[in-house]
Amino acid sequence: MARTGWAPYGLAAAMTLAGALASTSALAQAFKCPKVGGDFVFGQEANVNSLDQMTSSTISTRNVSMNIFEALMARDENNNAITDLAESFTESPDGLVYTFKLRQGVKFHNGKTMTSADVAGSWERYKAKANERQILDNVEKWETPDAATFVVTMKKRQPTFIEFISSFSQPIVIHPAEFKDDAPQQLRTVGTGPFQLVEFLPGSHVKLKRYDGYTPNTKYTERTGFGGYKQACFDTVTFRIVTEPGARVAGLRTGELHAVEDIPFVSVAELKKDPRITILPLENWWVHITSANLSQPPTDNVKVRQAIQAVLDMDEIMEASTDGNYKLNVGFQYPHQASYTDAGKETYNQKNAAKAKALLAEAGYKGEPVVLLTNKDYPSMYNAALVMSQQMQAVGIKAELKVVDWPTSVQMQLVASPSPGWNFFFTGYGTQPALGALATMNFFMGTNPNYKPKPGQEDPVLKAEWDNMNQKVDPKERQAAFVAMQKRILEQVLVIPFGSLTKVQGARANVVGYKPFRIPRFANVSFQ
Amino acid sequence: MVAAEADAPLEEDFEMAPVRQAPWRMNLRRLMRHRLFVLGLALCGIVFVAGILAQVIAQTDPTRLAMRWKFRAPGVDGFIFGTDNFGRSLWSRVIWGAQLSLYIGFSVVALNAVFGTLIGASAGYFRRIDNLLMRVNDALMAFPAILLAIAITAVLGPSTFNAILALSIVYIPRTARIVRASVIVLREMEYVQAAVAAGAGHWRILRHHILPNAMAPLIVQLSFLFAYAVLSEATLSFLGLGAVPPTPTWGNIMAEGRQYLLEAPWIITIPGIALMITVMGLNLLGDGLRDVLDPRLRIQQ
Amino acid sequence: MWGVALRSILGSLPVLLIVSLITFGLMRLIPGDPSAAIGGLSATSEQLAQIRKELGLDEPLVVQLGKWYAELLQGNLGRSIMMGQDVLQVTIIRLPVTIALALYALVITLLLGMGSGIIAALRQNTVVDQIAMVLAMVGISVPNFFLGLLMILLFAVHLGWLPTGGYIPLWKDPIGWLRTSTMPALSLALLQMGLLARITRSTMLEVLRQDYIRTARAKGLPARLVVTKHALSNAMIPIVTVIGIIISLSISGAVVTESLFSIPGMGQLLTQAVLNRDYPMVQGGLLLTTTFLVLVNILVDIAYALLDPRVRYERS
Repeated sequence: MARTGWAPYGLAAAMTLAGALASTSALAQAFKCPKVGGDFVFGQEANVNSLDQMTSSTISTRNVSMNIFEALMARDENNNAITDLAESFTESPDGLVYTFKLRQGVKFHNGKTMTSADVAGSWERYKAKANERQILDNVEKWETPDAATFVVTMKKRQPTFIEFISSFSQPIVIHPAEFKDDAPQQLRTVGTGPFQLVEFLPGSHVKLKRYDGYTPNTKYTERTGFGGYKQACFDTVTFRIVTEPGARVAGLRTGELHAVEDIPFVSVAELKKDPRITILPLENWWVHITSANLSQPPTDNVKVRQAIQAVLDMDEIMEASTDGNYKLNVGFQYPHQASYTDAGKETYNQKNAAKAKALLAEAGYKGEPVVLLTNKDYPSMYNAALVMSQQMQAVGIKAELKVVDWPTSVQMQLVASPSPGWNFFFTGYGTQPALGALATMNFFMGTNPNYKPKPGQEDPVLKAEWDNMNQKVDPKERQAAFVAMQKRILEQVLVIPFGSLTKVQGARANVVGYKPFRIPRFANVSFQ
Repeated sequence: MVAAEADAPLEEDFEMAPVRQAPWRMNLRRLMRHRLFVLGLALCGIVFVAGILAQVIAQTDPTRLAMRWKFRAPGVDGFIFGTDNFGRSLWSRVIWGAQLSLYIGFSVVALNAVFGTLIGASAGYFRRIDNLLMRVNDALMAFPAILLAIAITAVLGPSTFNAILALSIVYIPRTARIVRASVIVLREMEYVQAAVAAGAGHWRILRHHILPNAMAPLIVQLSFLFAYAVLSEATLSFLGLGAVPPTPTWGNIMAEGRQYLLEAPWIITIPGIALMITVMGLNLLGDGLRDVLDPRLRIQQ
Repeated sequence: MWGVALRSILGSLPVLLIVSLITFGLMRLIPGDPSAAIGGLSATSEQLAQIRKELGLDEPLVVQLGKWYAELLQGNLGRSIMMGQDVLQVTIIRLPVTIALALYALVITLLLGMGSGIIAALRQNTVVDQIAMVLAMVGISVPNFFLGLLMILLFAVHLGWLPTGGYIPLWKDPIGWLRTSTMPALSLALLQMGLLARITRSTMLEVLRQDYIRTARAKGLPARLVVTKHALSNAMIPIVTVIGIIISLSISGAVVTESLFSIPGMGQLLTQAVLNRDYPMVQGGLLLTTTFLVLVNILVDIAYALLDPRVRYERS
C-alpha cells in the first residue's frame, strides 16, 4: 500500500498513524452531496487582489484559490502531510531522492489532462517567481521519466522537505505547463480543483462554479484539510467582499450571505440566539504578538525588555484586543499541537510591577521613550499596543504609540539593524503556527524581520538550535531544538507573545458540511 | 462632504465683484439681524465653548482605559454619552474631540488665510507669475480632493500636524483662486489706477487699496472652508490617516466605533451628530456672512 | 466652438503635466513600499526583499521617473503591483463603475436638488422654502460615510429593504444594479443635492427678478410657462457649469462611499492602491481619473459656450 500520510517532522512521530488511518478508511463509502445545486454566497472580510496562489500569501487569496488549485501534497485535518495530486511518493534511503507518482486522469479546468510535465512547469514557475521559493533552494534537479512520475533530487539531505512542500502558506499549486512564464500575481486561473473560476472582479466579488470534470482522490472518502475526497455540491460559490463588519453580520442575519468570516465578538451573543445561524469559532487563529527591536535603546538592553515582559497583564491585553474572545497561551504553538511546549512559561503573564521596577533600576533606565509601532488596519494589534502602553506607563516607562498603516509598519520594522524609530512592532503569527514549529521559528532565522540583533551580536544559541531543527534526522531531536529555541526567545524577550486569538465565522443553519480549515473550504458543503 | 471643497468655485460665482466695504459696525448690526447667522453662531458657540472648556466639563481622561465599563449605553451607569469598547467615556472623548477637530479646522483656515492670500494676491497682481502659479493651482485642483489629501497624509504619515498640512495643500489653491479673482477686478478699479499713477509702491497698493477690499469674499470663503476642513479631517481620521489614536477626534471615534455599528451604535452616532451640528453651524455662519458682505446679494434683499 | 475646444485642450496640457509630476513625486516619497502589502501578514524579510527587486523599486528615482514617462508616451501606464494587471485595463473596467454611480447620483441630484431649489425659489420665504433650505443645509453638513453607515443600519439591517452591499454591474442586471447602488448613490447625492438646491434657488431668484421675466408675467403669460420657458432656461446656464463640479464631487465622494459599500470603482481602487503602495496603479489611476475630470470640464466649457453664445470665452 502506498504511503498517503506523512507526518511533518516537527510534529510527533505518532502522527504517522493518522495517515495510516486515512488510507484504511478508503474502504468506506465515499462522500456524496446531500443536495446538489444552488449559489453559495460567502462574505469575505478583505479584498482579493490576485488569485495567483504561488505569489500571494494573503489569507484573502487563499480563501478563494485553495478551492481552485491543488498541489502534489497537502495537509490533512490534523496538519499531517498527505498526498493530493500525487498518488504516492517514496523517499530514497539516503533521503536525497523523492519519487512522486501522480494520480491518473486528473483534468485541468481547461480540459487538459495533468501530466508530470505540468508538475515540472509549475515547480519551475514556483522556483522563479514564488515568494517562498527558497523552499526549493536545496533541490538539485527534478525529472519526469514518464507522464505519471516526478522525481526530485536534493543537494543534501533535508528531513523537513516534505513538511515544507506540503505547506499551505504558499503551496506549489499545479497549473498547466504552458503557464510557467506567467508574471507574478498573474497566473491564469486554471487549476485542478473542485471549483473553477467564472468571474473575478477585484474589490467586489469572485464567482466560482462546480468543475464537472473534477477527479476526486479516491484514496479518501472525506475531505480532510486541503486534501482528501473533494466534491463540489454547489453550482456556484460567490465570494463577496464585505469590508464593513456590521454589514457582514447584517448580511448573515438576513440570509443574504450564507457564511461570513470575522464576526466581531460583540455580535456573537446576539447571533447565537438566532436558530437560523451557526457560529463557528476558529480557535487559535493567531498568536497575538509583539517583537522587540534589539538594535535601538532602550530595548537593546535585555533588562529593560525583561522589565516590560514582567509588568504585562496578558488578560487585559487580550481582552481589549479581542473584546474577550481569546485564550492565554505560552509560546508559539497551541496545546492541541504535538509540538506544543510551555517552555519559558515563567516569563509569561507575570503582572509583577515590583520585579519590573527592580529590573528597570538595574538597567539604569532613565525615562527614554519606548515606541510601540502598531497599525489601525488590524484593530486587535492597535488595541494590544494601547493597553500595553498603559501597563508600561504604570511602572514609569515612557511608552509612546506610533500608529501607522500596516504596510508602513512592516516596512519600518524591516529596515536592517539598526532599525530606527520603533521599539516594539505589533503583529500576529497566523498561518505559521498552524503549519508547525518549523514554519514559526522561520521568523527568527537569519535576516528575519522579527529578530533584529545589533550587527555582530546575533544570538549563537538561537542559530545553533535553528540548525538542529532543520537538520536533525530524529524528529525528537528536532522537537528538543524547538523547545530550547522557544525558551531562549522568551527568556531573551526577542518577542512577547500575548496569547491566542479566536476568530469567529458564521454560517446559515441550512448549510451542511461547512467547516473552515482556517480557510473556508467549499467542497463537500451543500444546502440542506 | 469631503468633496465640498468644490463648493468653493461655486460660491466664487457670487463673489466676483468686490466693492468697497460698508463700515464694520454696520455689517455687524446686519449680521445680528440675520436669523440664520445667529442660529449658526449659537450652534458654533455651543461646540466652541465645549471644546475650549474641555478640561473643565469633561474631567475624565478621554484616553484612559476602563475595560470593566465597556459598552455602556448613553445614560447607563452615569455615562451621559455612554462608553466605547475600552470603557472610555464618550462624553469626554466627544468633547475633547471637539477641541481637536476645531483646532485642526482653525489651523487649516489660518494657513489658508495667509498662504491663499499671498499666492492669490501675487498671481492676481503680478501678472508675470500668474500663469505659472495658476497652472500649479489648476493641477492641484484637478485632483479629486480627498484622494490628494489621502496621498499626502500617506506620504507624511498620519498625525494631527500632517492632517492640517494635507488639508491646507488641498484647499489653499481654491482660496488663492478666489483672492486672485478679486484682486484682478480691484486692480483695474479707477482708485487703484489712480494710486499707481500717483507712484505708490506695489506693497502699499496691495496693502492699502486692494487687500482690504478683497476681504469680504475671503472671509466668506474661509467660513465655508472651516466647515469643509472639519468634515475632511473627520474623513481622514475615519480612514486612519488623521490624528493618531488614541487621540480623540470625531473621525477617530467613529472609525473605532464602526466595528460596533450594530451593537453599540451610539459610539458612531454621537460624534456624527456633533460633527453635523458644527458643520451646519459653520455653514450658516458662512451664509450669513455672504448675505451681508456680498453687495450684489444685499442689493436684492 | 472648435476654437473653444482647442483652447481648453491646449490649456489643460500643462496642467496634466504638473499633475503627473505631483503624482509621481508623492508616490515615491511614501514610506513603506508595496512588498509589505503583497507579502501579507506572514511574509519574511527575504520574501519582501525579493519582491522589491522584482518590482524595480531598488532603482534611483530619476531612472524610475524616466522609465515611467517613456512608457507613458507609448500609452503604457504600467502594471498594477497588487493585481498584476495592466493599469489602463484595470481603469477601463473600474472607471465606468464610478461613472455609472456618479451619473445615478447626478440624476438624483438634478431631480431632487434642482427641483427643490426651483420650488423654494418660487415659494420664497414660505414654509416650503424654509424646509427645503434646512434639508439642503443638512445635506451639505453630513459626512457621507456617516450617512452611509446610518443607511446600512436603517435600510439594510432594520427594514431589510436593500442589500447591505454587493455590487451588480448595470449591464448585467439593471434592477439588481439599482438595488445595490441606491444607498451609495443617495449618500453621494445628498451633499450635491444640498449644493445644487442652494445654487438653483439663488440663481432662480435672480432670474425671476430680471426685467424680461417681469415683462412676461405682466403680459399675462401663465406662470408655468414663464418658469419653464424663460426663467429655467436662463437659470440653466450657471447650473451647467456646476455639473462638471458635481461629477468631480462624486468621484471624490466615491473614495469613501465605494469602500463602505464594496463597489469596485475608481475610488475604492485608488484608496486601496495608496494604502498598498501600488505606485503604478496610483500614478496611472490618478492621472487617468484627473484627465477624465479635465475632459469633463472641457465639455462643460463647450456646453457653456453653446448655451450662451454671448459668453465671451475667457479662461484666466
